[in-house]
Amino acid sequence: MIEVHGLSKNYGSFAAVRELSFTVRPGEVLGLVGPNGAGKTTTLRCVAGIIPASTGTVHIAGHDLATDPVAAKRALAFFPDEPRLFDYLTVKQHLAFVARIYGVTGHEAIAQPLLEELEIADKADQLPGALSRGMKQKLAIACGLLHRPSVMFFDEPLTGLDPLGIRRMKDSILQRARAGAAIVLSSHLLHLLEEVCSHVLILKQGEKIADGTIAEVAARFSNGEVGVNLEEVFIRATGGSEK
Amino acid sequence: MVRALLYLRFTSLGNLLRSRVLRLRQPKYLVGAVVGAGYFYLIFFRRVTVGPPLSATEAAGFPSELMPTVAALGALVLLVIAALSWLVPSQRAGLTFSEAEIAFLFPAPVTRRKLIHYKLLGSQFAVLFTSLLFTFFSRRWSFLGGNAATHAVGWWFVLATLNLHFIGSSFVITRLLVRGITPWRRRLAVLGGLALVVAGTLLWIWHGLRAPQAADLADFTTMVAYLGTLLSHGPLAWLLLPGKAVLGPFLAPDGRAFLVALGPAALVFAAHYWWILKAEVSFEDASIMKAEKRAARVAAVREGNWRPTRGTDSARPGPFRLAETGRPELAFLWKNLLSTHPIFRPRVLAIVAGGLVALCLWLGSRPDYHAGLTIIATVVLMAGGYILFLGPQLARQDLRSDLLNADILKIYPLRGWQIVLGEMLTPVAILSGLLWLALLAAILAFQPADLDWLTLPARTVTAVCLGLVIPFVCTLQLLVPNAAALLFPAWMQSMRNRTERGIEVMGQRLIFVAGQFLVVVVALLPAALVAAVLIFASQWLIGPAAAVALATLPVLAILAGEIWFGVHWLGARFERFDLSSELRP
Repeated sequence: MIEVHGLSKNYGSFAAVRELSFTVRPGEVLGLVGPNGAGKTTTLRCVAGIIPASTGTVHIAGHDLATDPVAAKRALAFFPDEPRLFDYLTVKQHLAFVARIYGVTGHEAIAQPLLEELEIADKADQLPGALSRGMKQKLAIACGLLHRPSVMFFDEPLTGLDPLGIRRMKDSILQRARAGAAIVLSSHLLHLLEEVCSHVLILKQGEKIADGTIAEVAARFSNGEVGVNLEEVFIRATGGSEK
Repeated sequence: MVRALLYLRFTSLGNLLRSRVLRLRQPKYLVGAVVGAGYFYLIFFRRVTVGPPLSATEAAGFPSELMPTVAALGALVLLVIAALSWLVPSQRAGLTFSEAEIAFLFPAPVTRRKLIHYKLLGSQFAVLFTSLLFTFFSRRWSFLGGNAATHAVGWWFVLATLNLHFIGSSFVITRLLVRGITPWRRRLAVLGGLALVVAGTLLWIWHGLRAPQAADLADFTTMVAYLGTLLSHGPLAWLLLPGKAVLGPFLAPDGRAFLVALGPAALVFAAHYWWILKAEVSFEDASIMKAEKRAARVAAVREGNWRPTRGTDSARPGPFRLAETGRPELAFLWKNLLSTHPIFRPRVLAIVAGGLVALCLWLGSRPDYHAGLTIIATVVLMAGGYILFLGPQLARQDLRSDLLNADILKIYPLRGWQIVLGEMLTPVAILSGLLWLALLAAILAFQPADLDWLTLPARTVTAVCLGLVIPFVCTLQLLVPNAAALLFPAWMQSMRNRTERGIEVMGQRLIFVAGQFLVVVVALLPAALVAAVLIFASQWLIGPAAAVALATLPVLAILAGEIWFGVHWLGARFERFDLSSELRP
């Protein structure tokens, strides 16, 4: 469960995110969309505890991220658009390190099926330098899933994946949601959101323009038309520009 | 087309200089520039304007008849460098182009010869700058004669000719590779040629020159004179001729000799230029590979991930078995130790310690080898001082290396202080291990005959107490650069970036080293004062060894308190740290 109330993030006089509130329940997938510079990544970084919010509260699995960050972070996983790995740890050593940090007992029994699901089991002794961009992404995902998080944040999860990888990633997100995870993902790929997300939140210049189920948001901007897709909704909602 | 290439070259240079000047508007660069300029003035320019010139004393003591030997030795050095350019390379010639130059110039209607000229012109900027730098560095050599201007021109001839030689040899090597001559066959041929020259020289010595007598080896002057005779006769003398010609302008004692020397030097330079134009080969493939590697290296440096051995890195076993549960800080020690050379492992430490003990005990049991113990004591004390003061600058497997991974570190379910402490454990372990070794060797080797009170028990107690204090002092020292990384991340990043050069970056580094020294001294002062008072007051009653042991307890308490405060303060700072806003230009 993710509960965000009145979240704002300011950089000096510049407000990157303003008074943002939303809730994601277990099993829901919220798609965060908006033009470039709308504040999607900043929002994700705030709710994942990477940067402190200027105002507002964030609750992750019932834990206040500001007052009880350790418990909140124990329940979440964040997947950045660019996989950040340690150059000198092999795939297996990455998982051992993350297991110790999260205190995952019997991690090898969890890691092996994960690596097989992500199709990098045969790369277990490779350093990141020997992996392709997509495989690095998969390793970052394996590290994030190792402690079985109930809350997940994905920032542009399909970047760098091949068509098969994209299909697997979509299936994986849906599978985790069906298992009860609350998921937020940001992406410019609106067809991905239509396929994966149960809810959508449109941001523009740090402010919420609309949110709700895809059907609700589509209805709001369809002007009575039938069969309006998310791309059209997005363009109408944001006015077709970044400003 | 030539004008376009010239425009590109000069505009790029102009923009580079302009950006360097404009960034002085940022205080971190301005302060760095002021300090760097001051340092340069004190080290180089002050000698020009203040005090007697160094040459005045040194020139008087340097016999002019040895000048030909100096020229021959210089030419020999150039010959060795040139020989290496034929021996070392194993790949095709690749002129250094940036990725942008490759993208714009390679598909453009520009001949290969024009590209070569473009690169030669580009390399001249670096050669000119290096010549000026070498001129400053070699001011102490002004006893050789000449002045700053002749030395600058002389250095230019040396560096520019070497540059042409490297390009020419790489072109020829490429031709050989195309013809199927492998690098090892070429190396054998070059080594064979050199062996022939050496054999010819030896043969000539055997027949035409006497073997060195005791008088030839009596002192420095006679030795140099004999060496000069060897180098100025026989086949080697012919091989050294081009090198002597290139060195001529630099070694010219006066203006007239300089003008005379310009001719042969220019001739060798022109011959190299003609050779390059004739040896022109396809360099595009290798240049593209070179540019890609360079771009990857620059990107890695900017991301803070660059390591000199990056290309040959391979997976390593963990330094110790990492259990799934336990203090999470130890996971950082495990992770960061993996990034270091495998020599920094407890097993190696134990082996070296055992070896040192055995060596010192053996030397101690042989009265005639006691000088060896003195040498060991001196060396380890110097090494220990070096590690203590400069080690924290060199062992950087902490937040300084991981700062750009801050986003990932902050997702972990840990408090900021745990991450800061965990990150510092690796350099603390490495420096403590090295200092313990130095301490062990010093305590075994340092056996003063005239200090009766410094008995073996006293030395042992002192060593144990110092051994306990060492990790605390190392931690305290490492807090400073880690604090700087969090408080001034942009500053630290520009210092870390090896592609960043300039007087202002050098000044930044000087400021930081001085600042670190000052902070550590202030931090150690309370503990040092307490220890001094306690030892002074109690040694009369309980003896020096017990006094040292007694004083160690409050010292450890004070240092632990300072570290606790520093780690928690840095941890709070880390929790508020936002890399994306900190590194904004």
